[in-house]
Amino acid sequence: MASEKNSSLERERCLTGIDGLDNILDGGIPRGNTILFTGSCGTGKTTLSLEFLVHGALAGENSLFISVTESSDKLTRNVIPYDFFEESLIKKGTLVFVDMPVVYERLGLTSVEFSLEDVDTLVRALGNLVDELSIKRLVIDSITSVCYRLKTEEKIREFILKIGKALSNRGCTSLLISEISPSADRYSLYGVEEAIADGIVLMGNLERRGDLLRTLQVVKMRGTTHSRAKYVLDLTPAGVLLVPLLKGGSG
Amino acid sequence: MIKSPAELAEELHELPPSSAIDLRIQGDSYFDAIRGIVDIFAPKMNVDVIYITVAIPSHSIIDVLKILEIDLEHIYFVDCVSHIMIGATKKYDNVFYVESPTMLENIMLKVEYLMRKTEGRNSVIILDAINALGIHNNMRILSEFLHIMINNLRAKDAYSIVFTMDELGDTEEVHNMMKLVCDTTITIGGE
Repeated sequence: MASEKNSSLERERCLTGIDGLDNILDGGIPRGNTILFTGSCGTGKTTLSLEFLVHGALAGENSLFISVTESSDKLTRNVIPYDFFEESLIKKGTLVFVDMPVVYERLGLTSVEFSLEDVDTLVRALGNLVDELSIKRLVIDSITSVCYRLKTEEKIREFILKIGKALSNRGCTSLLISEISPSADRYSLYGVEEAIADGIVLMGNLERRGDLLRTLQVVKMRGTTHSRAKYVLDLTPAGVLLVPLLKGGSG
Repeated sequence: MIKSPAELAEELHELPPSSAIDLRIQGDSYFDAIRGIVDIFAPKMNVDVIYITVAIPSHSIIDVLKILEIDLEHIYFVDCVSHIMIGATKKYDNVFYVESPTMLENIMLKVEYLMRKTEGRNSVIILDAINALGIHNNMRILSEFLHIMINNLRAKDAYSIVFTMDELGDTEEVHNMMKLVCDTTITIGGE
C-alpha cells in the first residue's frame, strides 16, 4: 500500500544519461526542474551539459543549447568527440544550437542594461523557441553572462523566476550554467540564482597534495532524494565518468 | 606454492569471476606471474587485460611482452608512473596515463573507461603493485581505494589481481589490508 502511494507520488525523471549522476540523483533529474550547474572555469560544466543534451537527443527528446558567450560553431568544434555522438542529431534538428547574441539582435535588445520589459521580452522569446522546436531539454551557457546585462538583484530574480516557470510549465528540464570564482563562498555570482533554482550542482577543482581533481557535488535537488557526497569526474570519449572522492586523503 | 606460469593460470582458472586475488610474488617470479595471467589465463578465459602499472612504466612491460611474443591486442595499460618520470615517454594506443600514483580516483576512472570501451567482454584487472602505490599514498586512503575499486570490479564480474612484491618492501600493514579486501592469496616463486 505504502509503496503504491510512493510510486504515485514519484515524479517523472529526466535521465541525464550520465550513469554516475543518475545514480546520485536516484534515477535522474525530476522532469521540469531548473538546475543551476555552477563552478569555476575548467570544471567541466559545458561538457557535462552538452552530454546531457546529446543523450536527450539520442533518446528522441529535442534538445537546445543556448550559447551566450561562445559561438556555437566554436563550441561544437572544441567539444569532446563522444563515441556516442551522431552528426545526424544536428541535421535532424533534434539537437539545436542557438547563439544568444543573435536572439538579442532579433529582439532588438541592444542596450547594455536590460529593463524589466526587456526581461519579459526575452523570457517570452525563449518560451516561444521551446514551443516551436518542442524542446524537452535546454541549457543556457551561461546564465551569469545573461545576468551581466540585468545588473540589479530585482531584475535577476525576475528573470530566473520567469524563465524557470516558463520552462517548467512546458515540461522542459533545464540546466543554467553559472560561473563563479574558485574562491567563491556561494553558488552563483549574484546569490539570487541559487535561491530560486530547483537544484544546485556544484562543480569544482580540488587540489590535493599538488594534484588537481575535477569534482561534482549535488547540493540541492527538489523532487528527489540524492547523495550530497563529493565525486571525482573524468571527461572521456565515453562521456562523463564519476567515482567517489576518497576521504582518506582529506586529513 | 606456485612455481610456473601454467600452474598460476590453472589456479586462477579454478576461481569464479569477480574474485579478488592477492598475488604474492617472491624471488624472481615477476615475469612468470605476468606470463601466467596475460599469456595463458586471459586468452583461455577470453577476457581483456587491464594492467595498472605503478612499479615500472608500461613501455618496459610492453617491451618484455613483445620479447615474449605475447599478443597485445586485448591488453590495455593504465600507466601511473610514466608521467612523474622526467623525459619523454613513447606513446602507445593501448596505454592510458594517470598523472600521478596519488590520483587514485583517476586510476578508478581510467579502469571504468576501459571497461566501457571493451563492453561485452569480461576483464581481468592487474594492479602492479600495491607496495608501489604504498610508496606514494598512506595506508588509510590506499585501503579505501582498494575497497571501492575491488567492489566495483566484483559488481562487473571482473577478476582483480593485486600484486604484492617482497622486493618492494612487504609490510604487515599491507598484508592485513589485502586480507581484508581479497578473497584468496596465491604465492608464486620463492622456496
